[in-house]
Amino acid sequence: MATWQDDSFEAFSEQSISLIDASDRWCGAFDLDLDDSTLIGFYEDLLRMRLLDERLNTLLRTGKTSFLAPCSGHEAAQTGIGRAMRRHHDWLFPYYRDQGLAVLLSSADEVLAQFQASCSDRNKARQMPGHPGSDQAHIFTVASSIAAQIPPAVGAAMAKQIQRSDEVVVTTFGDGATSEGDWHTAMNLAAVRKAPIVFACENNGYAISVRLAAQTATATIAEKARAYGMPGYRVDGMDVLACHYVMKQVIERARRGEGPALVDMAVYRYGPHSSSDDDSVYREADEVAAWKKRDPIDRFYRFLAARELIDEGADKALRDRIKGELAAASERAGAAGTAPVEWLFDDVLAELPWHLVDQRELLLGEVGGS
Amino acid sequence: MPSEPITLIKAIMHTLDQEMARNPNVIVLGEDVGRRGGVFLGTQGLLERYGPERVIDMPLAEGAIVGAAVGMASQGLRPVAEIQFADYVYPGFDQITTQMAKLRYRSGGQFSAPVTLRMPTGGGVGGGQHHSQSPEALFVHTAGLQTVMPSTPTDAVGLLRSAMRGADPVIFLEPKRLYRSVKEVVPAEFDFTVPIGKAMVRRIGADVTLISYGACMLEVARAADEMARAGVSAEVIDLRSLLPWDRDTVFESITKTGRAVIVAEAPGKASVASEIAASIAESCLDRLRAPPMRVTGFDTPYPYAQDKLYLPSVTRILNAAKYAIDY
Ligand SMILES: Cc1ncc(C[n+]2csc(CCOP(=O)(O)OP(=O)(O)O)c2C)c(N)n1
Ligand SMILES: [Mg+2]
Repeated sequence: MATWQDDSFEAFSEQSISLIDASDRWCGAFDLDLDDSTLIGFYEDLLRMRLLDERLNTLLRTGKTSFLAPCSGHEAAQTGIGRAMRRHHDWLFPYYRDQGLAVLLSSADEVLAQFQASCSDRNKARQMPGHPGSDQAHIFTVASSIAAQIPPAVGAAMAKQIQRSDEVVVTTFGDGATSEGDWHTAMNLAAVRKAPIVFACENNGYAISVRLAAQTATATIAEKARAYGMPGYRVDGMDVLACHYVMKQVIERARRGEGPALVDMAVYRYGPHSSSDDDSVYREADEVAAWKKRDPIDRFYRFLAARELIDEGADKALRDRIKGELAAASERAGAAGTAPVEWLFDDVLAELPWHLVDQRELLLGEVGGS
Repeated sequence: MPSEPITLIKAIMHTLDQEMARNPNVIVLGEDVGRRGGVFLGTQGLLERYGPERVIDMPLAEGAIVGAAVGMASQGLRPVAEIQFADYVYPGFDQITTQMAKLRYRSGGQFSAPVTLRMPTGGGVGGGQHHSQSPEALFVHTAGLQTVMPSTPTDAVGLLRSAMRGADPVIFLEPKRLYRSVKEVVPAEFDFTVPIGKAMVRRIGADVTLISYGACMLEVARAADEMARAGVSAEVIDLRSLLPWDRDTVFESITKTGRAVIVAEAPGKASVASEIAASIAESCLDRLRAPPMRVTGFDTPYPYAQDKLYLPSVTRILNAAKYAIDY
């Protein structure tokens, strides 16, 4: 068999790209070149994302966080993206469902501090849960407004060109985001400037209740790339290896200065849109069950088990360790305390103008503060 | 209309339903307004009753939602467009300010865009900066728009009808903090409307006028209760319409009390509260016994951790009223 090449995958393929077949075996046209410990590492990342959602649901129930847009069902895409990036080097411009990816690129401590509005949140508890950001991990702080991160992601990539840096920008978004004007202007700009950026769509087929067919008249998101003059790839988003290898190909291509690409990963959202949604109003339980049969974690477990890289005992031990780590990170976030009142006023601007000085005094006079 | 007490969001839903039944030109469009019935259920049941041609689940693009509504209105339809949260109106802003607000003027009155643009606004729901903003000043500052905000189910019915039957675009702001907090029986008559531009005196008083709108009416009512216990008589005005606003009702009250405290949760600088205060200062100076006072949200982005502290508190209202009375 061939070795992996820079151009192993062709853009705009008829079939969506898979590397794990229906019987959970490798089906790539090149040799799998990841060593055993890396493969186990992928599995650990997938599990951590799933268990993070579980932990966050517990925190919701106990009032330690207030909101969750679950990422379960998106783990293969998020692991594939994160593992193809150079950690703390390449930049992520994420959206609100990327807590799993954010943990991979930063840490559980950083992400849980944000979810718990802890004093230790690098973003100073300024936003609702699920909106992390980290200068040290090169994660641009999330804004809830759909597609608002995408033009700035292109600008950041243009900056990397101007600065002769080899950092690449990856921006993630949902299928719904591709309807916003900001998405289209950003795609166009990136291609015109050959900016080092990858557009990664976590395409779960829904924007809250609105199905993809009501969102776009094209069968895939990938084919939209053609009109902007960049390659587009349709990938099985429940196949972590396919997500990883395609992302690696386009990220390294962007790093070589050959321009942007769009990757359309077909995933599924297992949970409701968010903790404030009731998905039973607009989709059938059967549909959810059908997707769960292709669960990316179960599938990758069987893939690894067939290679004798994992068994039930090892799986259980791994899960227990990750659960313990997440619980400990959550404990630390809680122990750091809550955000002080005066943080309401900091960072509106670098220097506080007179009217905000007055308003801060007014509030502290009313409620007391440190 | 149901004969039992209903919430503000139900009042909106029933009004949309009635108007759609009455007028085949009424179209509802927005994100998740169809099968989901809106994320706050303001359009619940409409898809089932009126079908996908009149209840349109739009692609996720506010520019398309507002722009399409303008185009429909220019052809004689009566679109009611929903922006899921006021915080997400910004991608649609060009269409609001360039088209919706200016079409009548630009065309010398040949065309108009009688669109009703609904959006939930305001904080205090733990939603952080993208689910809590009060952008009414941006609309009030845009010539060619009328901007209203009901604080009761009855006013929601009356104002929504006026908006949907009127000749011009209306920004219909819905205080989401009040969506389910109050219930009342709303008038059954189909002719009942609340005219745009008319305030409502909610409580008659003699010593100070508290002027507000939207969700802050809750804190204002509590402040007025406290003041009553301390022997101070507050008059309370609910503006309901932010532009055109009801000058006559406000000035008449100031003539009586000589003191004004204007309360709103939007940031205070260059705000609706500022406009009211300035107008009172300009027109009622000879009757004023104290400077008009503003109690507003802070001029910061809407916070998350200090969600409740951002809103004008009863204490802050009482302090401003006391300052005016002791002046
Ligand atoms: C500009 C804007 N409009 C509306 C919303 C409300 N909203 C939040 S998530 C969402 C659906 C997004 O769907 P998609 O992009 O497919 O991402 P998914 O949630 O499915 O991962 C909507 C309409 C928003 N956040 N921003
Ligand atoms: Mg989606």
